[in-house]
Amino acid sequence: MFKQVRTWLGQVGSDLRESTDASLLSSLRFLGLLYGRIDRTLPIDQALRKAWARRLPSYVGWRHSFGGIAYLLFMVLVVTGVLLSFYYRPSIEEAYPSVQYISTEVPFGWLFRDMHVWSANLIVLAILAHMARVFFTGAYRPPRETSWLIGVFLLFIVLAFGGTGYLLPWDQWAYWTTTEVMNVVRRTPIVGGTLAGFLTGDVFVSGATLSRFFALHVIVLPWAAFGLLVLHFVVVRKHGTAPPRGFVADESPGTPFYPDHLFRMVIVSALVLAIAVSLAAMFPRAIGDPATPFELPDGLVSSWIVVDVSLGLIRTMGVWGFVGFSALGLLLVILPLVDRDPGASLRRKTLVLGVGLLFFLGFLAFWTVGRQIGAVPPSAVIESSILDERAVPTPDTSDSEQSGDPETRQEP
Amino acid sequence: MIRQACFFGVAVVLAPLLGLWAPGPVGARTIELPHAVNLQESNRAEQQYGCLVCHADKRRAHQLGVHSDRGVRCHDCHGGDPSSFEAVQAHGGNFKGSLGKLETVDVCASCHSDPDQMRQYGLSAGQIAELRTSRHGQLLLDEGNLDAPSCADCHDPHTTLHSDDARSGVHPTNISATCARCHDDESLMAPYGIPTGQVAEHRHSAHGIALFEDQNFAAPTCVGCHGSHAALPPDVGEISNVCGRCHVNVRRAFDAGPHGRMEGRAAPLGCTGCHSNHDTERVATDRVADTCVGCHEPGSSETLLGEEVEQVLLRAESEMGRAEEALHELVRGGHEVSDERFRLRAAHTEFRTLETLQHTLDLEQMDDLARLIASASLDIRGKAEVSAEERWERKLFLLPVWFFALGIVFLAGFRLRRISTPNARETH
Repeated sequence: MFKQVRTWLGQVGSDLRESTDASLLSSLRFLGLLYGRIDRTLPIDQALRKAWARRLPSYVGWRHSFGGIAYLLFMVLVVTGVLLSFYYRPSIEEAYPSVQYISTEVPFGWLFRDMHVWSANLIVLAILAHMARVFFTGAYRPPRETSWLIGVFLLFIVLAFGGTGYLLPWDQWAYWTTTEVMNVVRRTPIVGGTLAGFLTGDVFVSGATLSRFFALHVIVLPWAAFGLLVLHFVVVRKHGTAPPRGFVADESPGTPFYPDHLFRMVIVSALVLAIAVSLAAMFPRAIGDPATPFELPDGLVSSWIVVDVSLGLIRTMGVWGFVGFSALGLLLVILPLVDRDPGASLRRKTLVLGVGLLFFLGFLAFWTVGRQIGAVPPSAVIESSILDERAVPTPDTSDSEQSGDPETRQEP
Repeated sequence: MIRQACFFGVAVVLAPLLGLWAPGPVGARTIELPHAVNLQESNRAEQQYGCLVCHADKRRAHQLGVHSDRGVRCHDCHGGDPSSFEAVQAHGGNFKGSLGKLETVDVCASCHSDPDQMRQYGLSAGQIAELRTSRHGQLLLDEGNLDAPSCADCHDPHTTLHSDDARSGVHPTNISATCARCHDDESLMAPYGIPTGQVAEHRHSAHGIALFEDQNFAAPTCVGCHGSHAALPPDVGEISNVCGRCHVNVRRAFDAGPHGRMEGRAAPLGCTGCHSNHDTERVATDRVADTCVGCHEPGSSETLLGEEVEQVLLRAESEMGRAEEALHELVRGGHEVSDERFRLRAAHTEFRTLETLQHTLDLEQMDDLARLIASASLDIRGKAEVSAEERWERKLFLLPVWFFALGIVFLAGFRLRRISTPNARETH
């Protein structure tokens, strides 16, 4: 079967070659000439061949694909994000109409917008699956603790990407969800007030917040993510993939990256991309009414997995549940400092195992709870400062100010 | 000696500097304190006012009211000699003591019926004249019936407050409770054959909900329909005029219809015939025909007309609902909907007009309006359907995507399977 297909493709190729005119051939020759010059300076072919011939240990298999999936989704987010930024305008007057324009007028705008939304959801799951694999195989222990730490920071970066991107559509759901999150951040002990003030740039979520979130989303966080990704790859490349517990090193040369692992990644990538496109086409992210700080929406509809988890936490355990779970996530950072024995079974490390199970299972549990809750009325209230801004001065007040009544006038 | 001279020198140098911070002489800075001076004078006058020696509690209540601001004192209403600090002398002369209901009316009238005194406060001087026309005034002033209220039964005699003060018993949110003090007393109302419970009915009516829940102070309370000082139940022929003061367009439509033309010549119709009086309610669209049966024979031409009116309203209401749903879908789909929103608002206005127009029972006019609403709804729904079709077409895009993806999976999987066999591995 495969032979027949190959024969058929070869026939098609030779037919094409025979029918191609001279100008195309000369163009190809020029490209070849150019490539040859570049390759002599930078030995690309050699590097590529070396990378493809690199042998990975025989225990590296399908379960190691999650890291690759996360990277693939990150690239999807970058590409779709760049396409979105061609049309998106980060101001309170233009953000909402520009998202409407992307969704309805730009050719395939709906596709790259919803691919962006769904990839932002899938990447969280991929990273958590990748982390869970590393955690339960004890691969975070020395000498790979740096890789683990960078990975956890990359998770935080992805969460920050989602948190800042969530506000950008500037509809009622985005606005009031961000307001709720900012209220929680503000109540966080010690740093909460300062952090919320820095992020919002105002006493409530406003145009200043939109500008800051946009700047963080498209300038600060991408650079941080690229830096950490490069570091992550370098460290992973240096220490290699951790062997499973009880693995006895043998003389096996391992399996080459090409074709074994490359084809494996091609299969996984094709499926992940097809799933992302399917989700985008079948479950597009609806748009709420335009954001207004003067009116509370009837309900908040979540479109990001982390918002679902936060919703589940806050509605079932209150603000302290959210803060506690976040603290649990931070505990993962210091895990390699506590558990440093590479050979020990995780079953003997009850505390470490408990923290990990609580985090990963808790995430799934609260995600389910958040999805069940679905649309909820916002608990946030309209700030009195916003209402004051809208209030019309009463005739009595303005009269007394204008007339300079000595009883009501303030002494300087 | 030298030390003393040094101290003296330092003191001479520092004294002017310290003087900058020291409080200046009274004349150095002109501060006008008319209010403070008035207060001092007022305190002095009160110390010389004998009534306050014993009636300090009344003084506090009086000071909260508007009469205190206008300079009305105890002796202006109660008489007596306020310059005396002896009870016998203070209560001598023209002292009236606690005022009875009839005396209260006379005392209040002494100022409130005087246009020269009332003009400066923008108050009418006709309250007492109005009271005489009311049922309350007829009972109290003509018949001497002390069951009827006098001024002080509604207006606190000492803490008399303006009607727009939320603490006042005659403020819109309190007036029904003030009326209820007598009108919810079955034993008091029974001799006059007046039913009780109107206040509770009003509270749950459309007017009561508007007032108490929506804080709409323009919504009528007891005095809105019955009048305040000239309180009387409106006659049958007056009902549409009373309601029409606020519901101007409805009243016009009603007058143009058969019910309006018959009003006063037949059984009690008016607005209350369908909407009741104290428990005023909107008639739900699907209950219009049922309301007709209250007066007309089932199956009669009048009830058939009612059914047709109900059908027109129901159709229009259904079109409005579908248009709103379609607009909602368009918003969710990310469409710019300012035109559609404008059309829906216009349709809302037309629907309100239709609701008003039903009082004419003119089916031709109602049909015209209903068609306009249906047309707006059709336009909005048309756009929503186009949007839904576009969304469906996007799903077709998945066919080539999955064909391509599964093709890659198949080819790569086939290749992987080939190279994973031992022979192929060795060859590779």
